[in-house]
Amino acid sequence: MLEIKNLRSRIGDTEILRGLSLSVNAGEVHAIMGPNGSGKSTLAQVVAGHQDYEVTDGSVTFKGNDLLELEPEERAREGIFLGFQYPVEIPGVNNAYLLKAALNAKRKHQGLGEIDAFEFLKMAREKMASLGMDPKFLNRGVNEGFSGGEKKRNEILQMAMLEPELAILDETDSGLDIDALKAVATGVNALRSPDRAIVLVTHYQRLLDYIEPDFVHVLSEGRIVKSGDKTLAFELEEKGYDWLREAASA
Amino acid sequence: MTRLPTDALQAIVQRLPTPRDEDWKYTDLSRAREISERWLGAGAAVPAAVLADDIERITSDIDANWFVIANGELTILTKPVGVAVEKVKKPPAMEGSLAELNAALLIDGLRIRVNAELEKPLGLLIIDHADEASVSQAFIHVEFASHSAGKIIEYHTSSGSADQYANTIVTIDVGDNASVRHVRIQDRARTHVQTGRTMVNVGRDARFQSSGFDLGGGLIRNDMIIDISNPGADVSFDGLYLAGDGQHIDNHTRVDHRVGPATSRQEYRGILNGKCRCIWNGKAIVHEGADGTDADQANHNLLLSDKAEIDAKPELEIYTDDVKCSHGTTVGQLDETALFYLRSRGLDKQHAAQIMTHAFAAGLVGRAPVEVAREKITALVEARLATLIQSDEDFSE
Repeated sequence: MLEIKNLRSRIGDTEILRGLSLSVNAGEVHAIMGPNGSGKSTLAQVVAGHQDYEVTDGSVTFKGNDLLELEPEERAREGIFLGFQYPVEIPGVNNAYLLKAALNAKRKHQGLGEIDAFEFLKMAREKMASLGMDPKFLNRGVNEGFSGGEKKRNEILQMAMLEPELAILDETDSGLDIDALKAVATGVNALRSPDRAIVLVTHYQRLLDYIEPDFVHVLSEGRIVKSGDKTLAFELEEKGYDWLREAASA
Repeated sequence: MTRLPTDALQAIVQRLPTPRDEDWKYTDLSRAREISERWLGAGAAVPAAVLADDIERITSDIDANWFVIANGELTILTKPVGVAVEKVKKPPAMEGSLAELNAALLIDGLRIRVNAELEKPLGLLIIDHADEASVSQAFIHVEFASHSAGKIIEYHTSSGSADQYANTIVTIDVGDNASVRHVRIQDRARTHVQTGRTMVNVGRDARFQSSGFDLGGGLIRNDMIIDISNPGADVSFDGLYLAGDGQHIDNHTRVDHRVGPATSRQEYRGILNGKCRCIWNGKAIVHEGADGTDADQANHNLLLSDKAEIDAKPELEIYTDDVKCSHGTTVGQLDETALFYLRSRGLDKQHAAQIMTHAFAAGLVGRAPVEVAREKITALVEARLATLIQSDEDFSE
């Protein structure tokens, strides 16, 4: 589904991804771990199409098509969802409006008509209930005045509504209490299916207690230096990242 | 109507403010002067325009008791209960050459006295149509007796392909313990010129709330002048200006806090695209002895084009100690991070920019203190924004 080959990317003069390769197939859950500054968030932003990151080498294809040619909104409509590490507050634009606009943009791309207002509300309420979100959040400004946990739940709500084929969750677990973490995990696990793939970018093993990955990759200095199954996450939790960094530079 | 001889009128026109006057540094009234000279030279006729359809359209959209001044002449006069209305031939003496011009050329002035709690707003429609260059004046004084309450809708609009210059003065006295809500909508033709002054005297423990919306006009200058000479006054006013190619919109505000305690709060927001210029100059003067004054002013601007220009200038003059004053000014483009966030959800760039721009304006529209006018204001703002955003493709540079 997602094929990344020898990807190099920089922001300004700083090269962050230095020849990264990764292959994600439908039905798989991948966890990408690594120390701060290793390029985890950059990878997520590049796949989503953030203009500040320049791709200097390598390729990224999604369902066989060159992803790097597409605008961020086209990638979203093709089925990619990025859960932001820092969800953006947009005062004055209400949550329901954004959800509906996002859903309709995707439906239009698929040749479908706009979603029925009643259908939309029913779907949103159900998803919110399963995430433990108060329905009143629908009428608030996007992330406006939300707590850290509320913002992350809101990301998961957007994901649940859009039902992406590939979800990349950038440190969705950071700063969450145990209830919020469980709610996020519930949302992610509900999305798991043979047709979809999920990439979890995380600093800690904790999230993986609730969402069991098929593969764990360790990112260091812009490259994947080690891949394994979920036991790798436990190993990292125990030993930290230093031994890998030494291995990578050796 | 007895009028000054043409050369005396031309002399007043020559005395209109120029950019050499500190308060007019950014706004050049040469166009107003030139139109006036031409019109006076051609005999200073009042255009016999047929405006009935336009008037009907506006007055039926907003449920108010309407007074209509078309090309400077009073055409519709309502007499609601609790209100005394009379025509004035001569406005009271006021400072400045614009007031002098207004007095010299005024056809029908209006004095409205409110002695009750009005349910329906008073609608003041000032409408002009120009097939040939013309100049019009309006003077309206509205007086709210103590303990009275009411709403005012000031609606300025114009049409026609010829040059037009409107010079308007609205004065509002808010009596002790009275409460007045006011909106001003300006939707003039994109080539026309207006100098408009709104002067408000606020009584003891009285309340005045206002919102202004500048959507049209070629060269627009508004002066909002608030005088607080009584303790307990509570004043708050907003302004939204939307400007595109060729427009120049200048909002000058002045609040005199002569006594305290009293509160004044203002927030102006602007959205600019294309080659245009806007000015916000907010002056607050806290006079000696006006202890307990709380004055706050804010001005935020969204510049969607590098050809758009804004001059934002807060001016606080404080001559007493026990005051709380604050001001904040921002000038910026649409937030890149927020744009990317919306696009990452599948909204195209244009749509993302559009909803963020609408959200910026919507805050002030939602606060417009005359509820019955809100629907109309929303429609006008949305229509103006739709054309404003289309006029320039690129929001990120």
